[in-house]
Amino acid sequence: MATIRCDLLLLWFISCCVISAPMVFSDLVISKVDRRIDLTSQIVRSFTTLKVENDGANSVSEILLPLPDHQAKNLAFLIAIVTEEKGKSKSYSDVLSVKVSNPDGMPPSLTWYSVSLPKELGKGERLSLEIRAAFTHALRPFPEKISQADAQLVLFQDSAYYLSPYAVKGQSLTIKLPQPVRVESYTKLENTKLTESELKYGPYENLPAFSYRPIMAHFMSNGPFAVAQELVREIEVSHWGSVQITEHYNLIHAGAQSTGEFSRLDYQARPHLRGASAFRHCIARLPPRAHSVYYRDEIGNISTSSLWGDATKTILEIEPRYPMFGGWRTAFTIGYGLPLHDFLFQSQGKRFLNISFGSPINDLVIENLIVKVVLPEGSKDISVSTPFPVKESQEVKFSHLDLVGRPVVVLEKPNVVPEHNQYFQVYYRFGNLSLFREPLMLISGFFFFFVACIIYMRSDLTISKSSPSYLAKLQWDEVQSVVQQVQGIINECLAIHDKMETSLRDLSRTGEVQPCKAVRKAADSSLKELSKDLKPLLSFLQSSGQAAHILPKVDELIGKEKELQEKLLLKHSTVVESFERKSGGKDADSRVATLQQKITALRQEVDDLLELLDEI
Amino acid sequence: MEAQSVKPISSPVPEAWYPTLAVLMLAVGLIVTASFFIYEATISKKNRSLAKELSTGAVASVFLGFGSLFLLLASGVYV
Repeated sequence: MATIRCDLLLLWFISCCVISAPMVFSDLVISKVDRRIDLTSQIVRSFTTLKVENDGANSVSEILLPLPDHQAKNLAFLIAIVTEEKGKSKSYSDVLSVKVSNPDGMPPSLTWYSVSLPKELGKGERLSLEIRAAFTHALRPFPEKISQADAQLVLFQDSAYYLSPYAVKGQSLTIKLPQPVRVESYTKLENTKLTESELKYGPYENLPAFSYRPIMAHFMSNGPFAVAQELVREIEVSHWGSVQITEHYNLIHAGAQSTGEFSRLDYQARPHLRGASAFRHCIARLPPRAHSVYYRDEIGNISTSSLWGDATKTILEIEPRYPMFGGWRTAFTIGYGLPLHDFLFQSQGKRFLNISFGSPINDLVIENLIVKVVLPEGSKDISVSTPFPVKESQEVKFSHLDLVGRPVVVLEKPNVVPEHNQYFQVYYRFGNLSLFREPLMLISGFFFFFVACIIYMRSDLTISKSSPSYLAKLQWDEVQSVVQQVQGIINECLAIHDKMETSLRDLSRTGEVQPCKAVRKAADSSLKELSKDLKPLLSFLQSSGQAAHILPKVDELIGKEKELQEKLLLKHSTVVESFERKSGGKDADSRVATLQQKITALRQEVDDLLELLDEI
Repeated sequence: MEAQSVKPISSPVPEAWYPTLAVLMLAVGLIVTASFFIYEATISKKNRSLAKELSTGAVASVFLGFGSLFLLLASGVYV
C-alpha cells in the first residue's frame, strides 16, 4: 500500500506542477470526452471517444495523447480511429498512425503519443476520434498474498479527469467492473456513482489542460490472470499441403500469490469457494479446419482437453494438470495443422503466408512472444509485413530431409494482448522444382542402397583366397554360370521353335509359302549357331569335377532338345511340302498329327528338365 | 485488382490421396525390390548384367522414394 501512496503523491505533485504552469499548448479544445474502461478481465481496455475542435487560427495536423509513465510502461496496444457520426450510426474510417513523440518543455513523467490526422484540422473544424488502448499488469492484486479460500482483490488507479494537453469542456468516465461485483472501496468525488456493474465519474465540465485527479478502485476480480511469460509459436510451412503450428507456453497465474497449503479435497468439494481465484482451463480458438491437434508437456500427452468445431472455428479447451492458483506455473505445448490453401497465397510471382500473429488462447497476456516462421528449404527473397513494429531476425532450422536447412523468420514482440491477433504476411520466392527436393533425396537414398547391394554382390570379401573350400566355391560358381548359359541357349532354341510354329500357323491362314520358308532358313542358321555355342560349354562341364552330378541332366536336356528340334523341323518341312504340292490328304495329316504328339511330349520333358536345373 | 491476382496455393497432389498413393507405390516398389534381389541371388556372378541391375534398382528406388514420401505425408510428417 505504501508504494501506491507514493505513486499517488507523486502524480498529485506532478499534476499540481503542470496545472500551475500557465502553458497553452495549442488552440485545440476537446469539446467532449467519453471514457470507458473495461476491467472485466486482467487486461485493462480503455475506449476513449474524443470530439476535438480547433479554436485557434492555425490549422493542426496532429493530436497529442499523453500518458503518465506508470501507465505507459504497461501499455500494450494503442490505436486511434477517426469516426464519423451520421445520425445515430457510427462509421469508422481511417486507423491513424500513433507514434511516440517528445515535445519540448513537457514534464518528464509523461509519455507522449502523437496521432497524425489524415487532413489538417482548419479553424473551427471538428473531428471525432476513438482511441482504444489495452494495458497489462495494470490491476495490482491487493492483498498480494491470499490463501486458497480467499477471493482475489485487485486495485486499479487512474485519473478521474482526462489527462490532456488541451482544455476539456465536458467529460465523463465509466469503469466497468467484473461480475459478480464486489467493491471494497473506491475514491469518492463529486458526481461519483456506483451502479450494479459500473462505477461512474462525471460529468465534469470546463477543466483546464493537464487536469489530473487520481482515483482508485479496490474490487474483486477472479477471472483468469493467465500470463505467458514466454510463448514460442513455430509456424512451419510445407508445400505438400500443411501449415503446422506448434506453440510452447510458459504460463503463470499472475494474480495474488497463493500462500498456505493447497487442499485438493477442499478444491474438489467446493471449487467456487475453495479455489475462487484459481482457473482450471484455458480456451483456445483455433482457425477452422484445424487438424491433428495435440496438447502435451514434457511428461507426455495431457488427456484433459476437449475439441469441437464448426465451419467458422475450432475450439480447444485445455486443462492444465492442476488448477492454477496465484503464482503457480505450468509449461505445455499445443500443436495443430492447418490446410495450406487457407493461409498460403500467390501474388505477382511471390508466395506469401497470411496468418495471425498472437496466441489463439482467450484473454492471455504474453510477456514475450516469439513467432518463428519456418519456410520450406529453397525459399529466397524473404520479407515480412506486420501491422505493428516487431523485432525481426533470421535463423536456419534443420528438419526432416534437409540439406542446407530451412530459412526461419523470427519475430519478437514483448507485451502482447489479444488485440495483436492480427494477420501478418511473410513474402518469399519459391521455385516449383524445389518441391521435389525431398522425394529426390529419398529416391537417391534408396538408389544408394541398391548400388551398395550391387557392389556387395560383385565384390569378393574372402580373406584366404587359397583355401580349398573357397576354390571349390569358385569352381561351383563357374559350373553354375555355365549351366545358366546352357539354359539360356536352350531357351533361345525353344523361342525359335515357337517362331516356326507361328510361321506354320500363318501359312495355313494366309497360304503364302515364301515367308514361311524364310523363317525356316533363319531358324536353321541360328539353330546351327546355337549348337556351335553349346559345344564348348558342354565340354567344360564334362571336364569339371564339380559338375559330375548335373552333367547327366544337362546331357539329357540337350538330347531331348535335339530330338524335339528334329521332329519340329520334320513337321515343318512336311507341312510346307504338302502345302506346296497342294496334295494335303489324309496321309500327310496323320503324319503331322503323330509328329505333333511327340513334339508336345518332348516339349513337356524339356520344360521339366529346365525347371529341375533351375532348382539345382 | 490486387484481390484478383492473389490466389491460394495448395499441394500438387490432393491430401486425400496420400494414403492410397503410399500403399500403391510402396507395393510396386517392394515388388520391384523383390525382383531385384531374386535376380541378385539366382543369377551367377558372371551372367549378371550391370545395366539390368541398375535399371531395376532405379525403378524400385523411384517407387520406394515416392511411396515413402507419401507415407510420411499421410502419417502427418509434413516434410
